[in-house]
Amino acid sequence: MPSPSVELSGVSKSYGRFRAVDDLSLRVNGGAIFGLLGPNGAGKTTSIRMIMDIIAPDRGEVRFFDRPRRQKDLARVGYLPEERGLYPKMTVADHLVFLGRLRGMSRREAVAATRLWLARVGLAKWSAKKVEELSKGMQQKVQLVGTVLHEPRILILDEPFSGLDPINQELFKELLAEYRSGGRTVIFSTHIMEQAEKLCDEICLISGGRAILSGSLSEIKRRHGGNAYRLVATGELDRATEIAGVESSIQQDGSLKLLLAPEIEGADVLRDLVGFLSVQEFRSEEPSLEEIFIRSVRDAG
Amino acid sequence: MRVETVRVIAAREYLARIRTKGFWIATVGLPVLMAAVLVLPALLLTQTTSAHKMVIVDTTGGIGAELAARLSDSPELRRVTEKLEETLEGVDTAAIERKLQGFVPILEPPSLDLPGQRAELDRRVLAGEIDAWVWISEQGLAEDRIEYHAESVSNFVTQERLARAASSTIRSLRLVAAGLDPEEIERLGRSIDLTTLRVTAEGSREEQAATGVVLAYVLFFLLYIAILVYGQQVMLGVIEEKSSRIVEVIVATTRPTELMMGKLLGICCVALTQLAIWLGTIVVLTLPGVVARMRWLSDQFDVPTLAPSLIVHFFAFFVLGFVLFSSFYGSVGAAFNNIQEAQQFASVGAIFAVAPMLLFWMVLNDPDSMLSVVSSLIPFFTPLLMLLRLAVKTPPWWQVALGYLLTILVTGAMIWVAGRVYRVGILMYGKKPSLPEIWRWIRYA
Repeated sequence: MPSPSVELSGVSKSYGRFRAVDDLSLRVNGGAIFGLLGPNGAGKTTSIRMIMDIIAPDRGEVRFFDRPRRQKDLARVGYLPEERGLYPKMTVADHLVFLGRLRGMSRREAVAATRLWLARVGLAKWSAKKVEELSKGMQQKVQLVGTVLHEPRILILDEPFSGLDPINQELFKELLAEYRSGGRTVIFSTHIMEQAEKLCDEICLISGGRAILSGSLSEIKRRHGGNAYRLVATGELDRATEIAGVESSIQQDGSLKLLLAPEIEGADVLRDLVGFLSVQEFRSEEPSLEEIFIRSVRDAG
Repeated sequence: MRVETVRVIAAREYLARIRTKGFWIATVGLPVLMAAVLVLPALLLTQTTSAHKMVIVDTTGGIGAELAARLSDSPELRRVTEKLEETLEGVDTAAIERKLQGFVPILEPPSLDLPGQRAELDRRVLAGEIDAWVWISEQGLAEDRIEYHAESVSNFVTQERLARAASSTIRSLRLVAAGLDPEEIERLGRSIDLTTLRVTAEGSREEQAATGVVLAYVLFFLLYIAILVYGQQVMLGVIEEKSSRIVEVIVATTRPTELMMGKLLGICCVALTQLAIWLGTIVVLTLPGVVARMRWLSDQFDVPTLAPSLIVHFFAFFVLGFVLFSSFYGSVGAAFNNIQEAQQFASVGAIFAVAPMLLFWMVLNDPDSMLSVVSSLIPFFTPLLMLLRLAVKTPPWWQVALGYLLTILVTGAMIWVAGRVYRVGILMYGKKPSLPEIWRWIRYA
């Protein structure tokens, strides 16, 4: 079986004069959870829609399974769009069977898979109920089941966690872990960096339609680490940013986080700090993804 | 386009609609209504007391008695009564007859105190003892009028019958006074009926004018209603998919064109199911055996029989008209976010659907006029107007063929345009698109 890889090379899309996605390239391998990160309007949904062949790129190519994408590849993808919903008047079981059949399952397969999955998410008793009779949380479960019913090898989720209740968040995370361990591929987009930080193996940060950072999360952190220091001290803390080489400071949990310019040594800054502060603690700290992102956007812009 | 995908979508669409109560209420309701229109008058005749109790006072003498006699015995009434006796054995026809005649004339002589008698008659009307009173006076006759007094004077049909009976009574009496023989008067005064024959390729057959009109009317309106109602259903369905946010889940593995085609096909099948039930009812109701049982109800026209070729044209024009209008409606649904926004635009389509209604009588009256021929060849009008022409008079074959050809071409173009608007529109949320924007979708989609 070919590796469930997804690849974009040099993909661009404009709406009139607005560049939604600008020369985006990325590659996701099987057995990984890949995060497509960026603020709202960065081009995440447009990129995902181009992967799904819902909109056509102006330039560039999309590849699945290490070859150019074909229409039938899409039946092996589970896709959960950001704008997602269900037919309110259909029964849960009919709805799932319908989705399964659209993904190329036979009626019998779809019926069997529906029964299995509804039992797994605890909705077996609700299968004959109309969708509109379900709570919002239950509907989210049905949407999730509809996405994975046909056992796709690639899972693409656009802002999957937005609006989810905590129970369903856990369900999603469980599922993502399952897909990773099964050697399958997960791509999801989010604008919440902390989430990505906890879940992703690899990320691509985009802003203004351009990739500004991509690679494995641990490597990115290593590359961007060492410039941040945590300072616990008393005195005129405001003056910390006046020291040459300190780019910014963030107040956090009663301590101060200092971001230093890449060429600056922490020891030099500390020497200056002790001149006007009584320092209790000063240690190197890994920057959060959010900080890396903010700095990268600033540098890129 | 993958046939299987279209089939799955069409099946969902079909089942979802067939299972609604509304569908069955409309499907069964209309035939019940049709049957009711035929049967109800008979029921009403036996159940209601609609006879008009009317006092006639004739101060001139001589006219009142004649008028009363004429009101309680008319040749049409006798004809209907005979029919009734043929078809409804064992029914108390005398009771029906009394009610059918409509009038129970009571002749009363003028009293010495005329104003007092008039006041008394008014009192009886208000007390509900009688329904009306008629006053015949010399002075009125000199001006060619008689008086009719009743609590309500909006009963035009009754008044018309009374006026006609009074006219002919007085006319006859005047002619007798002028020296003519009463039998001579009757013979000379008879009115003339038209025997209408429809000339077709299979030879002439007697068909009453009203028959052709009724058939054309029923088919025309069934088609009109079906195209418009189901076109709107497509629009509402697309808006529902958009507003419930299901559409992107579906287009993940389905091309928008497949989704649109599946939707059209599914809803088209729903409509065909309904139309088949309706036309089936008409066919059953017009079977000779059924017709014989109903005939007495209306002596005015023969019940038409549906020609098989006309049924084929009906369904062919329905499918074409439906696809033409509903692909337009579907793209309107896709372009806008809610019913309010879409409705403004949908009314543009409605204009094309309503225009044939305005031409209905013109085409019916002269199906071969230049106007009829040209308007029935305009693709948006063809399904309705060509069917109407076929129902009343077989047009030249080339006109029918040309009508089909043009409509098919325009329908194809409409599907192409609608498909492009649909593809872009279904994923657009938020702002209402402007016309130039929609134009861009068509050009660049």
